[in-house]
Amino acid sequence: MISYIARRFLILPVILFGVTMLIFSMIMMLGPYQRLSTYIKDPAQLKGAEDIDQLVEKFGLDDPWYEQYGRWIGGVVKGDFGWSESAGAPVTKAIADRFPATIELALFSLIPVILGGIILGVLSAVNHNKTLDHIIRIFAVVGWSFPSFVFGLLVLMIFYGVLGWLPPGRLSNWAYEIIRSTDFVSYTGLYVLDGILNLNFKIVVDALRHLIAPVFTISILWWAFILRITRSNMLETLKKDYIRTARAKGLAENIIVYKHAVRNALIPVVTVAGQMVLGLAGGLVIVETIFNIRGLGQFMANAAQQLDYPGVLGGALYYGFFLILINLFVDVSYAVIDPRIRLE
Amino acid sequence: MSEEKLVEVKNLKTYFYTEEGVVKAVDGVDYEIYPGETLGIVGESGCGKSVTSLSIMRLVESPPGRIEAGEIIFGGKDLTKLSQKEMRKIRGNDISMIFQEPMTSLNPVYTVGDQIIEAIILHKKVKRKEARRQAVEMLEKVGIPLPEQRVDEYPHQLSGGMRQRVMIAMALSCDPKLLIADEPTTALDVTIQAQILELMNDLKASYGMSIMMITHDLGVIAEVSDRVAVMYAGKVVEYTDVDTLFEDPKHPYTWGLMNSIPKLDKDVDRLEAIPGSVPSPLNFPEGCKFNTRCPLAEGKCFTDEPPLEAAAEGHKVRCWRYEDLEKIKLRGERIYADGGVDK
Amino acid sequence: MEWQEVIKRLLQNKVSLFGILIILFFIIVAVFAPYIAPPRDADEPYLIPRGGWSIQPQPPNEEYIFGTTEGQYDIFYGIVWGTRTAFRIGLVVVGISSFIGISVGTIAAYYGGFIDEIIMRITDIFMSIPFIIATIVFVTILGQGIGNVMIALITFSWMSTARLMRSQVLSVKEDEFVQAAVALGANDFRIIFKHIILNTIFPVVIQASMRMGSMVITASTLSFLGVGAPEGYADWGQMISFARNWILGVEGNPLNYWYTLVIPGAAITLFCLSWNLIGDAFRDILDPKLN
Repeated sequence: MISYIARRFLILPVILFGVTMLIFSMIMMLGPYQRLSTYIKDPAQLKGAEDIDQLVEKFGLDDPWYEQYGRWIGGVVKGDFGWSESAGAPVTKAIADRFPATIELALFSLIPVILGGIILGVLSAVNHNKTLDHIIRIFAVVGWSFPSFVFGLLVLMIFYGVLGWLPPGRLSNWAYEIIRSTDFVSYTGLYVLDGILNLNFKIVVDALRHLIAPVFTISILWWAFILRITRSNMLETLKKDYIRTARAKGLAENIIVYKHAVRNALIPVVTVAGQMVLGLAGGLVIVETIFNIRGLGQFMANAAQQLDYPGVLGGALYYGFFLILINLFVDVSYAVIDPRIRLE
Repeated sequence: MSEEKLVEVKNLKTYFYTEEGVVKAVDGVDYEIYPGETLGIVGESGCGKSVTSLSIMRLVESPPGRIEAGEIIFGGKDLTKLSQKEMRKIRGNDISMIFQEPMTSLNPVYTVGDQIIEAIILHKKVKRKEARRQAVEMLEKVGIPLPEQRVDEYPHQLSGGMRQRVMIAMALSCDPKLLIADEPTTALDVTIQAQILELMNDLKASYGMSIMMITHDLGVIAEVSDRVAVMYAGKVVEYTDVDTLFEDPKHPYTWGLMNSIPKLDKDVDRLEAIPGSVPSPLNFPEGCKFNTRCPLAEGKCFTDEPPLEAAAEGHKVRCWRYEDLEKIKLRGERIYADGGVDK
Repeated sequence: MEWQEVIKRLLQNKVSLFGILIILFFIIVAVFAPYIAPPRDADEPYLIPRGGWSIQPQPPNEEYIFGTTEGQYDIFYGIVWGTRTAFRIGLVVVGISSFIGISVGTIAAYYGGFIDEIIMRITDIFMSIPFIIATIVFVTILGQGIGNVMIALITFSWMSTARLMRSQVLSVKEDEFVQAAVALGANDFRIIFKHIILNTIFPVVIQASMRMGSMVITASTLSFLGVGAPEGYADWGQMISFARNWILGVEGNPLNYWYTLVIPGAAITLFCLSWNLIGDAFRDILDPKLN
C-alpha cells in the first residue's frame, strides 16, 4: 500500500504544474491589455499610470511566456490571483468568502447522493428483471437525461412558487439578521454547523430547509450515475463463486447480499468516486446559480458573465487544486477498502 | 450393503428453461450414498454431474433451473420438498460442499478465519471466541502450517492448494454427514492434487462422513471412491463398485473413458479416446443418448432408450448391447481404434 | 457481433426503438426547419424573430403557438431551429472529440512505455478541472458564440474516449490475431487500423451515443449561464435562461409562465433521453451480463 500511496503523492506536483500551465496558457490567449487585469491586486494600482502601455511594460506583459509564467506562478503561490471586478474584491478574498457555502452544500449532497445511489443500485440488482428493477432503471435513464438547470428550475417553480416550502438562498431574512448580530459567532461559515455550535437550532432548521431543494436537484443526476454502476457491479458479483460458497454454507440470502456481495460490488464504485466528485463540483455552478447560493460556483458563473477574467481563472485554479486533493483522498481510501491493495 | 442409506436420490430430474428451449441437464438419475463411503460421479463436462450435486444442495439457480421431479431422501426427509429456510439449516451443517475453483471460491474482502467462523457461529451457535478457536483447530487439521497466523490472512495471500484446504476446513467445520466435492482438484497442480485427495481420505476416516466426489478424472475416482456412477447426457449409464468398474466395464462409454487414461505399465502407442462430443442437451438423439458416438450402436439403439438394469450382482448398466461388448472383450479386440468401428 | 445484427436488435428492443423514433422526429424537424418555421431573414435563420419589445412573455396564441418568452422571442421558432443547433453541436463535438480520443488512446496503448505515461498524465491534467468549469473558463476567454462553445467542449471532452480506447486497445493487443498479424509482418499502421480499431469500436460508439446527450446539455448550460450562444440565437439553453425571471409566475398564479420553461426544457430532456436510451440498449446488446 505504501508504494501505491507514494506513487499518488509523487504524481501530485506533476498534475499541479500541469493544471497551472493549462490555466496560464488560457491567460496567454488573451491580449496584453486583458491579461493586465489578472496581475492587478487593487484598482488603486492603476492610478498614476499615464497610459495602459506603461502598465503593460510595468507588469512585463510583453516578456517571453516563461518569464511571465514565473511571475504569475509566484503570485499564485502567495494566493495572489488579481482583482475580481464582478465581486469587487481580490479574487482570493472573494473565493474565501464564498467557500463555506459551497463546502456546506457539497457535504450535505455527498451523503444522500452516495447512500441513495448505492441503495437504489443494490435494490435494482437484487430484484433483477422484476418490476422494481424496471422502475429504477427507467428512473436512472430519465434522471441522467434531465439537465440540472431545467430540473432545478422546475423544483423552484413547484416547491417555492406553487407550494412555498423550499425558498432559494441559504437562510431566511430573519435568520440572516441573527447571523449578522454580535451574539452569533461565525465559527465555520457553514450555517448548519454554526447554528449547532451557537445552540441556535432555529438557524439549523432554517439552513437545512434551504438545503433541501439544491441537494435534491444534485441528487437526481448522481443517483442515476451511482445506481447504474452499483447495479451492474452487484449483478456481476452475485454470480461469483464465493457467493455460491456463501450459499453452500447455509447463510441467509440477505446476509449473502449485504455482507458478502455489497462490499465487493462497492470496490469498483469507489474508483468512479473521483469522477463523481468532479461532476458534482461542476454541478454546483448550476445549482448555486439557480438557488441563489453565494458560493464558489455562483461566483464562477457571475465572473464569466461579466468577463471578469481574473475571477474566472482564479476560481478555476482553486477548483482544480481542491479537487486534486479530494481525488488523492479517494485514491487512498480505495487502497484501504480493498485488502488486495492494502496488503500489497 | 444392507446398511441404512445416508442419501437416496430417486428419479431426479433437473431442467433448465432457457430461451433456446428446455435443457434436461439431469434426466432421471438414481443413486444412493451409504454412511462412511465415497461415491464417485464421473463424466465429461455437461453430463449433469455438477447439477445433480447442486440439486442435492438445492442451489440450482432458479430461474432458469428447476427440480422437475424425483426425490432426494436425506435423514428421513425429502430435500426437494423443504423450504429454502429449512434447507439453510442443512447446508454447511449436515451437507457441505467444496468447489472446483479455490482461487475464486473464497470472498476476497474477508479473512479466511472470518469465513470459517461465520459458518461455525451460524450452525453451532457458539460465541465468536470459541468459533475462532475451532477455526484455528480446523485449519490445523487440514494441514495448514501456522494456523494461528493464517487465520487472519486474506485469500489472496494463500496459494491455490492452501485455499482448497481452507475450503475443506470450512466445509468440515460443522461435522457434516456428507461432503460434496465438485472437481476439488481439477484446478490444482498434480502434486497438490494428490495431497488434497489424501487429506480428504484421511478426514473421511476420522470424521466418519460420506463423500460425493464429482470429477471427470477416472484417476481421482480410482484414488478415493468406493462405488462409482458414470453419467452421460443427464443419466447414469453404469453404476457399480470401483474395482468392478475398472476390471469389467460393461458400458461402451465407460470402456472409452478407461482407454483414454494413459497407463504407465503398458506401452501404448496411441491414446484411444471416444470420437465425437457430447450431444447438445437441446438436441439429444432418439433412443440411446450415446448412439451418436457408440461404435456398437445398431437398430434398437437408435429407437429405444435402454433401461438401467442389473447386468450382474451390484452392477447396473444402461446399454442394449453390453453382452456383445462382453464377447468383444473376451476376444481381446478393441472397439475404438482411430475412431474406427470394429464390429 | 455484426453491425446488421446489432441494428436489428436495436430495432427489436422497445426501449431503443422509442429512442430511435424520438431522434427521427428531431431529425425531421431539423431538416425541414425552413418549412416548419420559415425564417424572416433568410440570411440569418438562427436569429429568433421577435413579436415585439415588451419584456413580459405571452402565452400560446394563434400567431405564436408555443407563446413568446422574455423579450417576445418566438418559442416555437426557437425550438425548431434550436434542434438544428443541438444536432450541430452534438455531432461536431462528439465527432471531433471522439476522433481525437481514439487517436490519442490508441497511440498511448499501442506504443506504451514513456509515450503512454506522458499522454496519460496530460489526460489526467485535462480531467482535473470539472468539465463545466473548464468550458466556462475557455468560452469566457474565447468569447461568446456557438463556434467557441464547440471549441471549448472539444478541448475538454476527448479524455474519456482516450481512456476507454486505451484500455480496449491494451486488451486487444494481447489477442492472438493481433500477435499473428505482427508475426506475418504487417506494418504498424495496418495493424492499428485494421485489427485493433475494428475490434474496439463498439464501446466507443456506445460512449459516443451517451455523449451526444451530455454535450448538448453542457452547451445549453453554458447558454443558460449567459456565456454560450449570443442573445437571440436559436438555442434551447438560452430559451431557458429567458425563463429564469418568470418561473415564479404572478401573484395568485405561480404557473402563469410555465410554457417558457416547460417547452424548451422538454425539448432538451427528450433529445438527451433518446440518445441515452439508444446507448443503454446498445450496451445491453453487446454486454448481456450487465443487462
